[in-house]
Amino acid sequence: MANGTWKIARNRGSAQLPLAIFAVLAIIVVLVGRAQSSLFDRARTTFTDWTAPLLQSVSEPVDGVSRWFGSIGTIFVVYRENLKLKEENAKLRQWQSAALVLEDRIKRYQLLLNAVVDPSLDRITARVIGRESKPFLETMILNAGKSQGVRSGQAVVDEHAIIGRIFLAGERSSWVILLTDLNSRIPVVIRPGNIQAIMAGDNSNAPTLETLAQGAQLREGMQVLTSGDGGLLPPGLAVGVLIRDGGRMRVALLSDANTSDDVQVIKYQAAPETTPTPSLNDLPAASLPPPQPHMPASDNTTATQPVEPEPAPFKPSSTKKNESNSGPAAATEQSVPAEDPSAEDERD
Amino acid sequence: MFERINFPMSRVFAAVIPFLLAAFGVLLANFPVSFLGGILPSPLLALMPVYFWCLVRPDLMPPGAAFAIGILEDVFSGGPPGIWALSFVASYALVDRQRDAFAGLSGIGAILGFAAAMLTASGTAYVVMSIYHNHMMPLAPIVLQVAVSVLFYIPVVPVLVLVHRRLVGPLRSDF
Repeated sequence: MANGTWKIARNRGSAQLPLAIFAVLAIIVVLVGRAQSSLFDRARTTFTDWTAPLLQSVSEPVDGVSRWFGSIGTIFVVYRENLKLKEENAKLRQWQSAALVLEDRIKRYQLLLNAVVDPSLDRITARVIGRESKPFLETMILNAGKSQGVRSGQAVVDEHAIIGRIFLAGERSSWVILLTDLNSRIPVVIRPGNIQAIMAGDNSNAPTLETLAQGAQLREGMQVLTSGDGGLLPPGLAVGVLIRDGGRMRVALLSDANTSDDVQVIKYQAAPETTPTPSLNDLPAASLPPPQPHMPASDNTTATQPVEPEPAPFKPSSTKKNESNSGPAAATEQSVPAEDPSAEDERD
Repeated sequence: MFERINFPMSRVFAAVIPFLLAAFGVLLANFPVSFLGGILPSPLLALMPVYFWCLVRPDLMPPGAAFAIGILEDVFSGGPPGIWALSFVASYALVDRQRDAFAGLSGIGAILGFAAAMLTASGTAYVVMSIYHNHMMPLAPIVLQVAVSVLFYIPVVPVLVLVHRRLVGPLRSDF
């Protein structure tokens, strides 16, 4: 344009040393940032907290305009779309009644089997106040933060399925890394078949699957759910369905990050894995015959002498409801009555 | 509105205008509201003042300023630290080395000059991110950002020229 009209500097060599210094400095920042990825997190959250009210007031009209522009194309298919939705709604109502019956049946089975019930999930409803689509980043900003109970790692869902997870939580705002983002990796399970995999975003609309088990047979249309491995995300959240893209499988997401206005942050914390506390019955010494009264007991033997265990009375499993929640410990304890002949009699 | 500034404080202010404009570009480009529903990436607005003043008044846009603006871009874009700082310094290095060639450009040539700077910055970011994540990043988003930024440079450059002539201009000295 007008560059040719400017008188320019001729002392070109003078910038070489500062350039080299700042290039080295930038490389150091990259390396430090690689080791300490939360280097700028505080600045980011502070900035977002400050601008959250402004973002909220600006995003509403802008979203309205965007939605209006987006809906222009759909005007011509409204009638056909309406018929399709009515048909789909009728089918979904059938599925809903089937699901309610099955839910009720599952509850009864869980009661009969004394199964550990899924923990109830608390949810925080938040509004999307910002969306960022960068070459290396796909994020959205919510108007809920630490003061509302939002923490890093929590899952974010829209009305359909999981949309991403919190990666940065400020006081009044939080950043969500979308499933499509390059840095997104979540453990998923593919059904039917319970095939475990890692779903990885690559900035396309459909994330890919990584770390599949060898010989896993994948077909289009298989369901993808969160597996809950690692304890960060709750298991069983709907993610999407498999679609074929050339030679590889991708996940067509059920959620739509571009149109979601209100989302829910799921407060989930997996029960900590505890090692079972061994009872006296579990100790090998418990099976030894009781000590003879005439045996001389030294100090050492006294210290290691097992206390004679009380005979463990058989308890029906229903009376151990609380114990069954302790996972492996409960499994250990439940295996004891099986050894008991009386228990076998009862079983027979 | 654009009266010439003659008193010393205003001169200082005028001297930091390039940096402030670039910082404003960082905030504007990273304001997380998209008019296009996220279809297109936001342009790299901060590179425009860096390129422009690196070309016409490098004393007002030293390498340190380019580095600082890159750091700001890193902070507000949400990406890994240092990526854009390194990219801006790389782009600055290209313009600094080829200043004579770039300064002689006008019209479409000037736009292509910025495109070269933008390609250098984005290419550096692409390579560093690929190394950072141990695999090649998808190329399409970065190409799209280069295209959007170059398109945005066309309406932005007259604004920069105006600011330079009206505000920064009085501070011009003979090199």
